[in-house]
Amino acid sequence: MDPEAQPAALGPTEAHAETGPGAPAGDRDRTLLLSVLAVATAGLVYELVSATMASYLLGDSVTQWSLVIGVYLSAMGLGSWLSKGIERDLHGRFVAIQLGVAWVGGFSATLLFIGFAHLATVRPLLFGLLAAVGTMVGLEIPLLLRLLERGHALKDVVARVLAFDYIGSLAASMLFPLVLLPYLGLVRTALLFGIVNAAVALWFLHAFRDDVGAWARRHALTWLTGVSLCGAFAFAPAIEEFGESELYDAPVVFSQRTTYQRLTLTRWRDDLRLYIDGNLQFSSVDEHRYHETLVHPVMALAPARTGGLRVLALGGGDGLALREILTDARVAHVDLVDLDPGMTELFSHHPVLSALNRDAFADPRVTVHNADAMAWLARQRDDGGAPFDVAIVDLPDPNDFSLGKLYTRAFYRLLASRIADDGAFVVQATSPYLAPRAFWCIVRTLEASGLVATPYHVHVPSFGDWGFVLAAKSAFDEPTALARGPERRFLTDAMLPGLFVFPADQAPPEVGINQLNDQLLVHYYEGDLMSPGRRG
Amino acid sequence: MSDPSRAGWTRRSVLAGMPAVLGGLAACPRPAASSPTLAFVGPDPARGHRIRDAARRHTMPAPRERAGIVIVGAGVAGLSAAWRLRRAGFDDVVVLELEDEHGGTARGGALPRSPYPMGAHYLPVPHRTNVALQTLLADLGLVVGRAADGTPEYDPRMIVRDPIERHRHRGLWFEGLYPASGAEPAALAELGRFRGRIRGLDREDGEGRRLFDLPLWRSSPELRGLDGISFARWLDDEGFTDWRLRWLCDYGCRDDYGCTAAQTSAFAGLHHFVARGVEDEDEHQRVLLSWPEGNAALCERLAMRAALGDRLRTGTAVLQIDPDTGAVLAWDAARDESFAIAADAVLWAAPRFVLRHVLPPGRDPLAVDALTYAPWLVANVEVDIRPGGTGAPLSWDNVDVGGDHLGYVVANHLEDLIAQRTGGAVLTYYEPQCADDARGLAARRQALQDATLEELAARVLGGLGRMHGQIARHVRAIDICRWGHAMVRPQPGALFSASAELAAAPIGRVRPCAADIGGLPLFEQAFALGVRAAEQALGAMGHRVTPMTAA
Repeated sequence: MDPEAQPAALGPTEAHAETGPGAPAGDRDRTLLLSVLAVATAGLVYELVSATMASYLLGDSVTQWSLVIGVYLSAMGLGSWLSKGIERDLHGRFVAIQLGVAWVGGFSATLLFIGFAHLATVRPLLFGLLAAVGTMVGLEIPLLLRLLERGHALKDVVARVLAFDYIGSLAASMLFPLVLLPYLGLVRTALLFGIVNAAVALWFLHAFRDDVGAWARRHALTWLTGVSLCGAFAFAPAIEEFGESELYDAPVVFSQRTTYQRLTLTRWRDDLRLYIDGNLQFSSVDEHRYHETLVHPVMALAPARTGGLRVLALGGGDGLALREILTDARVAHVDLVDLDPGMTELFSHHPVLSALNRDAFADPRVTVHNADAMAWLARQRDDGGAPFDVAIVDLPDPNDFSLGKLYTRAFYRLLASRIADDGAFVVQATSPYLAPRAFWCIVRTLEASGLVATPYHVHVPSFGDWGFVLAAKSAFDEPTALARGPERRFLTDAMLPGLFVFPADQAPPEVGINQLNDQLLVHYYEGDLMSPGRRG
Repeated sequence: MSDPSRAGWTRRSVLAGMPAVLGGLAACPRPAASSPTLAFVGPDPARGHRIRDAARRHTMPAPRERAGIVIVGAGVAGLSAAWRLRRAGFDDVVVLELEDEHGGTARGGALPRSPYPMGAHYLPVPHRTNVALQTLLADLGLVVGRAADGTPEYDPRMIVRDPIERHRHRGLWFEGLYPASGAEPAALAELGRFRGRIRGLDREDGEGRRLFDLPLWRSSPELRGLDGISFARWLDDEGFTDWRLRWLCDYGCRDDYGCTAAQTSAFAGLHHFVARGVEDEDEHQRVLLSWPEGNAALCERLAMRAALGDRLRTGTAVLQIDPDTGAVLAWDAARDESFAIAADAVLWAAPRFVLRHVLPPGRDPLAVDALTYAPWLVANVEVDIRPGGTGAPLSWDNVDVGGDHLGYVVANHLEDLIAQRTGGAVLTYYEPQCADDARGLAARRQALQDATLEELAARVLGGLGRMHGQIARHVRAIDICRWGHAMVRPQPGALFSASAELAAAPIGRVRPCAADIGGLPLFEQAFALGVRAAEQALGAMGHRVTPMTAA
């Protein structure tokens, strides 16, 4: 590893200790030197994995790399210093340390990903793992030096061990960015080198069969370690849920398949992105543009209510639209209907994500219903609940037939029956630029449902040009002033009129309306986004 | 149905014991299904024989009970009649039903994954001129609003959603039913000409009557002569010879009527394409209402609205009817007890061919085999996957071009997103037993009767396996329903002949009113016939009623 880390262990050494009669001396030396190469490579790989993870998860790569290298090297120094305390059974201790490195280093990336998903801050875990791996790796080289020292001059031993150590580091530093990271990903790279450590232990056990104390127990433990790591590696397709980075623009830091959908979080520095079934839902860098533009225009149309506003949110289990709704002090109650309890749970309890929606789900004004939006509305109608003053419809794009029903005339009529006569609602309506027929189909379908519909759009850098439709039961004026509330990061009164202007090259195309029995919208959406002319 | 092994179905995870830290292992392979649970469901064929035996043992006693109107049969026609009487404020009604459940061929059952239909399973939204049926659907709570022009808006949870139909042809799945893949321009031109012809037939005559209407009796006399020839013959005469179009027509006849185009009246064949709303390539597909349990859902609502209570007597067979006095001898199967009811009118809403056996000998003027009935095999197959296939996605109705069955319908197609994503499905497999004449039908009926449960299950799996090679290993349960007389066959001459009139004519106090007397086995027919019979019976008893359906 690093030259500075080693000399501490190179003092005059004690034990020529246990010389095993097993293997011939030359073979044993080769075994030991190859072990140096392997453990040095593995040691640097763990450091690189941790440093890469730290910059993925925590951002600010210069700081993370510096801290990781510093902590790791000092832990190695600690390990080297501690090595003097090992007096007996050097072979056996070396095997034990290999197994420790194999477990902690091998699963380090897996643990960090899981930790990121479930812990408030991943930093203690990161540095804890680094310190543990660094200490054990720091123990390895001094022990190997002492084992090799038998019958050799110190200068030869030091020269050969350090040479192999540095060659191993070179191998690791070249393999990691060029081969390991691109082809295996972080999780499997760490697991692979855990297997390497276990293999070194196994090799060692056989080469120094008579020198290793508690041979049978250590042998069994080595196999257990190796099989566990191989098992984890073999189930890589499942663990790949973490490592599907090639599908995304940034490293995947969390992935969960709920009953309904696959939620994937990626993070690149400060940009946290959520994908549902591979479709981008938001980027933390510019989601406020989307959500402010979704929520505040319709809130500006909300009728005056002495008892406060009753708001309905359909979809939006990330709580980001909810965060915007709750900034409005007039809001007395919000019913949020989202299909997926996995989603609302994640965004209620995950520290990073609930910080993003400012703990919207903890607000006493909010009630969450995990249900199919159409079925929920139909039940509301049957039960005759009080109508809503405002509804915010933030459902996934109509990219399949089961979602397409949530954009049909029947759905909008059902929704309208739950809206007060002087109320209003807004619908996220895909991109008028990327999917113009789909966007205008939603506008026409709202109109065909007996509603007054006014389309508008905004530029969201991570999405492109994005469209929405305001709808109400009777004619309304486009909002010209936002409701009173805290200053918005993006939207201002002055911007409002511009939202409703569509440029000349975005004139509405001729489209039909979306009905349950034909779902034209799904065909339009597919046709617009896929190769042109694939479907009518 | 009550097999506990189904409820106890367990998923063995091959990953049991893997450390939880590996997390996210959603894609664990499923275990191979153990052999599926098989069961016969639906009408008990032995019950008919037992009734015949019971009828011999009993003679008509002096009736101790009386009722204004006795309705025999609680299928769609009988329940519609009861509903109409209730609407007229007439409660002096008793309904006698042979089976233990009402519904007739519109009954439903259930597997753990989903309820399913045993027979009829959907209803196209009524044509705007069918006011009576619109009234019914509104009364049953299926209309949730009205458009500006008064067009009813139906509950979206019951509207069959796109993708509605797909067909499998040469190993690939395609949208819709017409096997267009590889069609020559001439074939497509013929399809275009056929569609044009159908559109041309969707019109009214000089007196404002539609050429093909529901109920059938409202149809204009203009083209009734077409009832004299077969649909295949009409297609020949019109020069429609391409196999693709012929297959589409044949499929339509088998699907609706249980007979091939050659066995179907040309009037009935065209009626299928015209009366329930013309489908047009460029325009919206027609709107269909459906439920997981099929039209059993409509029957359930009908029975509820008819508010029969204990005046609906299930498990009760009618043994004899005296058409002159209105005395009805019935037999309670559970108690093995007979009883007699004196009725002012009897509405015979059971299959017309049975009437001959309960009337005094010689009183039924209708010739034996004047009406012919198609046997059907209907199987509900619970699978632990949603069937896929290359090409068009899984649809409500999935058809194999070239199959001797009709393919399958996904019973749980309309379930909401929560239920849908739990995976698996119940597939309703339909196989009409077509034959040219009464003898052929009797043979197929007997074959259906004689086949063992395992043989029929193998047949169903063979049919499904042609569409989805690997499906057998995903099957958990098969409920098999055998219908000896599932529906009347609209063979040439069945709709507008003298014998058709005879089938519908009252005999003394008995008014036949099941769908079979009208010749077309459709919900709309059964409903209209039941309603009309109820109104006529009330009229004959001196009550004033305004007919819901124009005569």
